[in-house]
Amino acid sequence: MTDAGLRLIGTALAIGLAAIGPGIGIGVIVSGALQAIGRNPETQNTVVTYMFIGIAFTEALAIFGLVISFLIGFGVL
Amino acid sequence: MFSWLSRLRNYLLAHPRTTILVTVVAAVTIVSTYCIPTGEPHVEVKAEPLFYIIGSAENPFFPFVNSFTIMLIADVLVIGLAFWATRNMQMVPRGLQNIVEMTIEALYNLFSTINRTYVARAFPLAATLFLYVLACNLLGLIPGVGSIGVCHEYHGSESVEGEAAAGGIFFMRAEGEEGAPADPNPYDTCPPGEILVPLFRTPSADLNFTFGIATIAWVYIEYLGFKSLGRGYLRKFFNTNGIMSVVGIFEFIGELVKLPAFAFRLFGNIFAGEVVLVVLAFLIPLFLPMPLYVFELFVAFIQAFIFAVLTMAFITVATTGHEEEHAEEHDDHATYPQREIEPEPQH
Amino acid sequence: MEALGINFNLFLAQVINFGVVVGALFYLLYKPVLKMLRDRTERIEQSLQESDQVQEQLDNARRDYDAEIARARQEAATILSQAQERARSQETEIVSQARQDADRIRTEAREQAEQERDQMLREVKDQVAGLVTMTASRVLQAELAAQGHDRLINESLEALGRQ
Repeated sequence: MTDAGLRLIGTALAIGLAAIGPGIGIGVIVSGALQAIGRNPETQNTVVTYMFIGIAFTEALAIFGLVISFLIGFGVL
Repeated sequence: MFSWLSRLRNYLLAHPRTTILVTVVAAVTIVSTYCIPTGEPHVEVKAEPLFYIIGSAENPFFPFVNSFTIMLIADVLVIGLAFWATRNMQMVPRGLQNIVEMTIEALYNLFSTINRTYVARAFPLAATLFLYVLACNLLGLIPGVGSIGVCHEYHGSESVEGEAAAGGIFFMRAEGEEGAPADPNPYDTCPPGEILVPLFRTPSADLNFTFGIATIAWVYIEYLGFKSLGRGYLRKFFNTNGIMSVVGIFEFIGELVKLPAFAFRLFGNIFAGEVVLVVLAFLIPLFLPMPLYVFELFVAFIQAFIFAVLTMAFITVATTGHEEEHAEEHDDHATYPQREIEPEPQH
Repeated sequence: MEALGINFNLFLAQVINFGVVVGALFYLLYKPVLKMLRDRTERIEQSLQESDQVQEQLDNARRDYDAEIARARQEAATILSQAQERARSQETEIVSQARQDADRIRTEAREQAEQERDQMLREVKDQVAGLVTMTASRVLQAELAAQGHDRLINESLEALGRQ
């Protein structure tokens, strides 16, 4: 197990673990948005806009994981 | 349990032409993986310098990096389009003017649904964020961006000493057990010891650009917050009434994190998309990258949209004071940001 | 930072570039387009108002026209009925006049006829008297003297007048 190998494992783990939570979160958000649209189709435009805002917040966590994985992979940390 | 399998078989038997097409495409895809030789994919986090305007390779004060090319192209494209579309404005719009007006009007309506109070003031920034980022993202998806380049001599001093701190993840993979470079790939474009430096790189995959526009957006958000709430804006973060003081500290941290969140969201999405496309193209060159390419087009649009819309949403958050928030909690009829509607300032 | 490619000069260059783009788009795109959109909205509203006005005027004109038509129709009806009335009265008048005329003419004619007959009778009586006288005188020339002539003649005449 070399140092580079450990780095690769760290890189993969960082993004892999970071993707779990946001994956569930985006699922919850889209499910809620679709239910809202289904109940009240006239609000579709507003709901979709706010859905994307929520997705952006949630996705940011995965992106932080990706950045950490880059930082590890490219030897910054 | 395998009813879908039998259904699939029935479908394929009933449609021989579809079956043949699917089989041929799958066969060509798989065979192409072995028949089309590829070199190593080039993945680089940072924008690489093409030449140096000020400084040199040893002392890179101001290099001309490859993201500047797409940046300049996007400048010319966006400004030229704007100039061309508004050069001869007609009361009854036609052609390009019509498209541009529809876009601007749709954006204006979208932003005004998020923040009606500040849309007139923040519209130029938010709309430019959307249009420019969209232009950069889409330009970055043109085939050839990231794959057409020149061979530069590899001169990373770190690569000799720290193997992991070399150029990229794939460089690490190419290293052998003993830390020495593995056998050179015979299909690589560049001779051993040199790496391909792409001529083009989308600015959205360059942290300087994403941090730049994120800083502009963030500074504007904070400016509007201070302008609308005065010292009350600081009281939002630093106060002494019990539990709210702790919450304020967290909010302050959250406020600071907005800036890198903006930057890394755009960078991460676009860069990750490019990496996925590149890696997939090097694994299976034909057909399989196509759906992902469509997805990346969608992501390119969505990220531009998110950047602009989040700016407007953060302006709403920043310009709403704590007192108002609490007042609204007890007011059932309150509609959130539209409380303080003021007439739109005249331009 | 260096490994991620963050370079303060490049960052500054990108910030300046984006600022330039915002400024250029503000003057080239947003200002004229938003102005044009606002102008167009104003103009459409103005046009709508104008069209409302025109519609109102049209309605008024139509109402006036309808009223005018109704009045004219009524007038025509009045005139017609008056004319009919007058015609009827005139008709009666004319008919009665005609009847009167006819009566008068008939009376006159009758009178005239009677006069003529009378005259004729007189003439005839004279002639007959003459003839009788002549005939009688001729017949009685011989035997009759001049005595009693007149009485005989008168008797004959009376007999004639009675016939």
